[in-house]
Amino acid sequence: MAEYTPEDNKLALKVVFYGPALSGKTTNLMQLHSLLNPERKGELMVLETRDDRTLFFDMLPIGLKSESGLDLRLKLYTVPGQVQHDSTRKAVLSRADGVVFVADSQPSQQDNNANAFGNLEENLEKVGLDIDTLPLVVQFNKRDIPGVVDEAELQDRWSATPWSPLVMASALRGSGVIATFRLLLDRLYTEVDAEFELAARHGIDRNRFITRLSASDEVDLA
Amino acid sequence: MRNFEDDPTLDDLLSDDQRQRLNRALSALCREPVALTANRQDNAEPVEFNLETVGWLSGGESAAERRAASELVSFLLLFVAKYRLAANLHHDTTEASYAELQRQNEALKASEARFRELSDQLQQRVDEQVEVIRQNQQDLYESSRLRSVGHLAAGVAHEINNPIGFISSNLRVARDYLEDLRDIVPDTEQNRELLADFNDLIGESADGARRIAGIVADLKTFSSIDQSGYTLCDLNELITSAIHLLQTEYHHQLQVLEQLGDIPRISGNPGRLAQSLYNLLDNAAQALRDAQKGSDQGHILVRTVRRDNQVDVLIQDNGCGISEANLGLIFDAFYTTRPVGSGTGLGLTVARDTTRAHGGTLQIDSREGQGTRVTLTFTAP
Repeated sequence: MAEYTPEDNKLALKVVFYGPALSGKTTNLMQLHSLLNPERKGELMVLETRDDRTLFFDMLPIGLKSESGLDLRLKLYTVPGQVQHDSTRKAVLSRADGVVFVADSQPSQQDNNANAFGNLEENLEKVGLDIDTLPLVVQFNKRDIPGVVDEAELQDRWSATPWSPLVMASALRGSGVIATFRLLLDRLYTEVDAEFELAARHGIDRNRFITRLSASDEVDLA
Repeated sequence: MRNFEDDPTLDDLLSDDQRQRLNRALSALCREPVALTANRQDNAEPVEFNLETVGWLSGGESAAERRAASELVSFLLLFVAKYRLAANLHHDTTEASYAELQRQNEALKASEARFRELSDQLQQRVDEQVEVIRQNQQDLYESSRLRSVGHLAAGVAHEINNPIGFISSNLRVARDYLEDLRDIVPDTEQNRELLADFNDLIGESADGARRIAGIVADLKTFSSIDQSGYTLCDLNELITSAIHLLQTEYHHQLQVLEQLGDIPRISGNPGRLAQSLYNLLDNAAQALRDAQKGSDQGHILVRTVRRDNQVDVLIQDNGCGISEANLGLIFDAFYTTRPVGSGTGLGLTVARDTTRAHGGTLQIDSREGQGTRVTLTFTAP
């Protein structure tokens, strides 16, 4: 839930990277950390891992200050994908303003994708969020691996959902990561602007919101 | 409640002791003492964590020294904060899991209570069904008993009616012949006595035959061979028949006082009503016998009376009465105080059930050693 603190003129937003285990959520965040060059960028906090698997969450804060003085913060979180960390996933997911669902493109992982998406739906409901109105982007990661499911097939499969089109990515190589993030920012802006009048009151229009939060020196390979 | 993700303040991250120790260590490294404070001081460098200014570093020899110290503090705070965030998240999820467990526990308890209630209801339903089955069995037993009594009575009535018919008729002819004999035989003292005695014998036999015919008629009424199902019944008639039958059973030794009033007929099954009335009268007679009261002391009062739209039948005796302990049991089927073989323990049960089936009530008032009064109340049509 976007949180506005009038004393500090501060608006805090929360985006959660969700998805099945080992789909590359943390890699997405690490790439964003190294690729992005927004106005303000904090440290990437990788909280705790075991065998390179997330135990709690990772967090990357970024932000911008508008000319009107609005201090806009965006905290990007990942959740642990392993099934047994469901209560942690639920805690991190609560009060999210947007979700990036990182799916695994390998054919063998399609069941896991479906289960994780079902789990996302379930947990959103439990924390009082509506999957149909929440800004959500679905990314199919690991396009660099040979033998992944065809993009056309994936796009076709998701075409009837509100989350079409999908974003194809290879987080390991840094491709598609920023595109995913920008699409999310685009969908997020609609909701946040409706509630906090970003354009009218703070002079932040959709374009500025996206470009200033996702400024990058490097060319996205997508 | 604070969430795990809320931005931590300096106090959240470092205790007073820790902050003082940090200040001492930093001051030892710097050329001039430095101080980390939560509030902004003059010439202070912000200490940031997660884009958030969590404290201010003041003192030092120069701005560069303050910046270096601030950078070091930020670096340290990152690890402190990591631990704090993980611990907070762990605390949050543990609490959420515990709350969830408790909720599930409550749900389980509620569901258990619901099942317990269901099980109780089920037990109650089973009990009710058992009662219905018991009642049906008893009705079946009663009706089959009534039927066999009816068959027997029908058979007896049929078999006796014929011989009684020709005995009666023959006796009338025999009396005519006796008149003829009176003219034929010589008129001697001995013959006159003989003929007079003969006449008495025939008279007594004819009287006996009439009584047999009466008993047969009563039996027919009692077993309602002639009727089936519900019809308009004259309770007084049924009572009279039952009393006749009872008197036959008790060799006409009972003193029964009949006060039968002018009552309307009621709709009912005459056979079952007669059986019930007989049962009640039989109980009264046995109560007199148990009290060892002869016909001079013991008596049964039978009264029928109309009250508004009700018909009351009162059967009262001054026999042995019923003890208070037994009063609660008398309506139980197969309960009897009589010796084995002399009663089924169904009499009162049948009487009450029959009365109820006729929309009436049966009330018993009794005092041990003094007598019993049974009141049947029916609704007049």
